[in-house]
Amino acid sequence: MTSSSSVVISPWAASADEGGRARFAVPTTPRPPSSATAYRPVRGRLELGIKVHNGKSFAARQFHEGALRVLRPHYLDDSGQVCYVVVNPGGAYLGADLFDLDIEVQDDADLLLTTQSATKVYRTPEAFAEQRMVVRLGERARLELVPDQLIAYREASYRQRTHVTLRPSSSLVMAEVVTPGWSPDGAAFQYEELRLRNEIHVETNAGRQLLALDNLLIRPPSGDVTGVGFMEGFSHLGSLIVVDPRVDQALADELHRATSQRDALAGVSLSRSIDGTTGLVLRALSNSTGELDLLLGACTALLRERWHGQEPLNLRKH
Amino acid sequence: MSGYQLALQQLTDSALPTGAFAHSLGFETYVDASVIADEASFGVWLSAFVSQQLTYSDGLAIRFLYEGVDIGELDALLSASLLPRQVREASVKMGLRLLEIGGEVFPSAELGLYRDVVTTGRAAGHQPLAFAVVARSLGVPLHEALAAYLFATATSLTQNAVRAIPLGQNAGQRLLRQAAADVAAAVERIPHLTPDDFGALSPGLEISQMRHERQRARMFMS
Repeated sequence: MTSSSSVVISPWAASADEGGRARFAVPTTPRPPSSATAYRPVRGRLELGIKVHNGKSFAARQFHEGALRVLRPHYLDDSGQVCYVVVNPGGAYLGADLFDLDIEVQDDADLLLTTQSATKVYRTPEAFAEQRMVVRLGERARLELVPDQLIAYREASYRQRTHVTLRPSSSLVMAEVVTPGWSPDGAAFQYEELRLRNEIHVETNAGRQLLALDNLLIRPPSGDVTGVGFMEGFSHLGSLIVVDPRVDQALADELHRATSQRDALAGVSLSRSIDGTTGLVLRALSNSTGELDLLLGACTALLRERWHGQEPLNLRKH
Repeated sequence: MSGYQLALQQLTDSALPTGAFAHSLGFETYVDASVIADEASFGVWLSAFVSQQLTYSDGLAIRFLYEGVDIGELDALLSASLLPRQVREASVKMGLRLLEIGGEVFPSAELGLYRDVVTTGRAAGHQPLAFAVVARSLGVPLHEALAAYLFATATSLTQNAVRAIPLGQNAGQRLLRQAAADVAAAVERIPHLTPDDFGALSPGLEISQMRHERQRARMFMS
């Protein structure tokens, strides 16, 4: 450990800055891996740059290689929000696989990003599988990030890092469900390790400040993760993070009331505030993906209706 | 006797008026739900709290400060990673008291600097950092500082449980002896953690800390 705190504490600052540069050209040849990723193969890479024109959002920049791509964009309603579905044609994350996503939503643009199916992580004997996502949101830009659930199977290790930089006027909604995974004998929590790390930074004219660090580490072999203090006897974990200048205590209380309709143990709280924007974190434990999907869906529906006049999300997966 | 022994005892004494008696850091939610109702069930919670939250947040913050990481950066990391509002506010409330007491009783240049960034609004003033600055200025080695901080926190939480559940005074002492093993294990583990581990949350602890905000009858502020 050195006194260089930014290196020590924010090991992803370098890759975030790299991802933050605007890159509009679509390369004709695969580009070499950056120094930060040179020690392991990049199995899939996806870049999206979303802009808005006449109220309609679209990808002005799109690049993919390897085992990641997106389906043709579509529009679920007449709000102008563009929806992209990320596809992993390989169907799963395997040992030492690195998946890189770079998402930029420019000023006033609006992106709904989801997945085609659950993210499955199989046995990773050599090294952990990893997904790194760098997100940048412009002024009044909006991102709704609603992937399918994450399933880690026996002896799987997985790291997911999402690094978001947004403006005080941006709007972010991220939902996530983690299942217990399973093994051939039906036992749950047989994976080695799951790390899901979300860092959300607010960029102002005064610089960049950390709004929220949401760091989930589940390591079943190291101790009891099922009991009091951890999973509390439940099998599934759901999280919702909202960052928006309209987030306030009344909204937190309202979302908490919405959770009480479901069969889950849930809590809602507010993060620190930076330059007029605040984060809201909802955490819920339950025994099924369906129950958590309904709970998180009720919350996102409330936000969609109130802030954007949109219908509840209805993603028909094929 | 090392020169810092009595100072460290004063710093970690439960009579030090930081207001720790007013915080359950989430266990009151379990008491309200009857999940914690006796000595054994509180012991389970305390063990999880020491080996998870105190290890990954407070303990690791103290270690990083000892290793020279910038205090402003650590302060911001704590403010960002303590997502349940009441726990974040508890850390700052007790931290500010410790900064104030420390300024009068254990003044040092380092403490003056931290107080300065806090009073000018550039940092919040978190309890583990205020403690670490004072302990380091007194010459307390890291492992002793960690053990003292973790055990002092376990002590005040146990005293609060004795009042709230309630438990007998002897039960409280048995719990503390049991907590000593968890504290010792945490002190062994903290040096081996990585920056990626900082602030690792435990969903159940966190949800109970969040739910405390909406609990009707409560003795504690967190």
